[in-house]
Amino acid sequence: MPTPRSQLLIAMLGLALILAVVLPSATAIGQPAPTPATEVKVDNFTFSPEVVTVPVNSTVTWTNKDDVPHVIASTNATFRSKGLDTDDHYSFTFTQPGTYSYYCSMHPKMTGKIIVQ
Amino acid sequence: MSDNKQFVATASGVIEHDHNHDGVNRRGFLKCMAWAGTGALCVVEAGVLKSVALGAQLGSSKKQPTASQLSFVQISDSHMGFDKPANPDVVATLKAAVDRINALPDAPEFILHTGDITHLSTPEQFDTVDQILKSTNKEVFFVPGEHDVLNDDGAMFRERYARNSKGAGWYSFNKNGIHFIGLVNVMNLKAGGLGNLGREQLEWLEDDLRAVKHSTPIVVFAHIPLWTVYPQWGWGTDDGAQALSYLQKFGSVTVLNGHIHQTMQKVEGHVTFHTACSTAFPQPAPGQAEGPGPLKVPADQLRKVLGITNVNYLKHRHALALVDSSLE
Repeated sequence: MPTPRSQLLIAMLGLALILAVVLPSATAIGQPAPTPATEVKVDNFTFSPEVVTVPVNSTVTWTNKDDVPHVIASTNATFRSKGLDTDDHYSFTFTQPGTYSYYCSMHPKMTGKIIVQ
Repeated sequence: MSDNKQFVATASGVIEHDHNHDGVNRRGFLKCMAWAGTGALCVVEAGVLKSVALGAQLGSSKKQPTASQLSFVQISDSHMGFDKPANPDVVATLKAAVDRINALPDAPEFILHTGDITHLSTPEQFDTVDQILKSTNKEVFFVPGEHDVLNDDGAMFRERYARNSKGAGWYSFNKNGIHFIGLVNVMNLKAGGLGNLGREQLEWLEDDLRAVKHSTPIVVFAHIPLWTVYPQWGWGTDDGAQALSYLQKFGSVTVLNGHIHQTMQKVEGHVTFHTACSTAFPQPAPGQAEGPGPLKVPADQLRKVLGITNVNYLKHRHALALVDSSLE
C-alpha cells in the first residue's frame, strides 16, 4: 500500500500533468478573455486616439500614416521606437498597470497616453 | 513699397523695427511662396525690404553689391530620401539648388546647411547630399535637423560634419571679420515642448561670446527657428530667448534657421531673424493647414517654392543683406 504521503505526491503529479495538457490549449483558444491588439494611428502630426485604455498584457501598435517620419518615445524611457517612416509600425506590450505618457521625439508637440489597467 | 509684387502681411506680423527710420510700416511675415510665385527675389538690406526682379538680380550689375566683403549661401532641409508626392525627386531639386549657387554673380565663399540634410539619417542619404554638394567646390558648414539624428543621438552627424564640435555638435568660427555660431536645437526634445538648446550649450554660447567684440557682426545658424514662429506646430525654441539675451550687446546679429520650409523674416533691434526655403518640399504657412506636413503643389509650381538664401556682408552696412531666390 502506498503511504498517504506518496498518494499525495501521485495526486499532485497527476494534477500537474492535467494542467500541462489543458493550460496551453486554454491559452491558445483565448481563455481567459483575450487582450485585443490596440491600434494607434499617427496621422497629421497627431496620435489617434490620443488616450488609449487597455488591460494589462495588451500590445499597442502605432502605425505612421504621415509623409514624414515619427518616433514613438515614452516620457520615462520605458519604450522608444526607431524612426518610423510612412506605413512603418511599432508595437509594445504593456505588462504592468499604470499610465504611460509618450510623445514623438522629433515633433514633441505630439503627445499621447496609454492607460494600462 | 514701390514695387508691384504681392506679399502677405498678417495682423500677427512681427517685423516691427525700422532700422532706417523711413517710416515704412513693415508689420507682417514675409512669405517666400507668395514672392517666389512671381519670380521675385526678397531682398533685405539693413532692415529695408526690397523686391528685385529675378532677371535684374542675376543679370545686371546695377543692383549688385560691388563692395561685398563676404558672400555665402544658406541652404536647408534637403530631406534626401524623401520620395512622397510633394516631391518625388529631391535629388533633382538639390542639384537645381547647386546650379543656382554656381550661377550666383557674387561667388559665395562657403555654404551653410541648416539641417534636415537627410530624411531618415541613413549613411546613403548623407552620402548622396555630400556628392551633390561637392560640385559647388565650396566648404559646407552643417547643423543637424531632427531628421539627421534619428536613431543614434546624432553620432553619425557629428562623425561626418562636426568632428571638432562641442556637445551635441555646436561650434563657432570666424570668417572675414564675422563670427559664426552653429547651434543644435533638435536634441533631447521634451514632450509638449519646442526646440531645445539645453543648459550646457547655453553656457558654452555665453562663454564663446565673451571674447568677441561687440562691433563684430554675428551670424547664428540652427535648424529650428530660435524665435517663436508658431508654437502650435513646434516652430520655435524653448530656450531660444536665453540664447538671444547673450546677443543683445552686439551691434549686428543675423539668425538663420530652416525647419519650416518657407522664408520668414523678423527684425528686432539689431537682430535679424530669417528662415530659408527647403530644397525638397514646401510646408504650409502657419495655421493655414491642419498640420505642418509636406505641402503638395502642382508639379510645375514646385521649384517656385523651393530655394536658397544668399547672404552678403557689405562694408559700411549695419546689417547683412539676405537674398532669397527660388529654384525657378
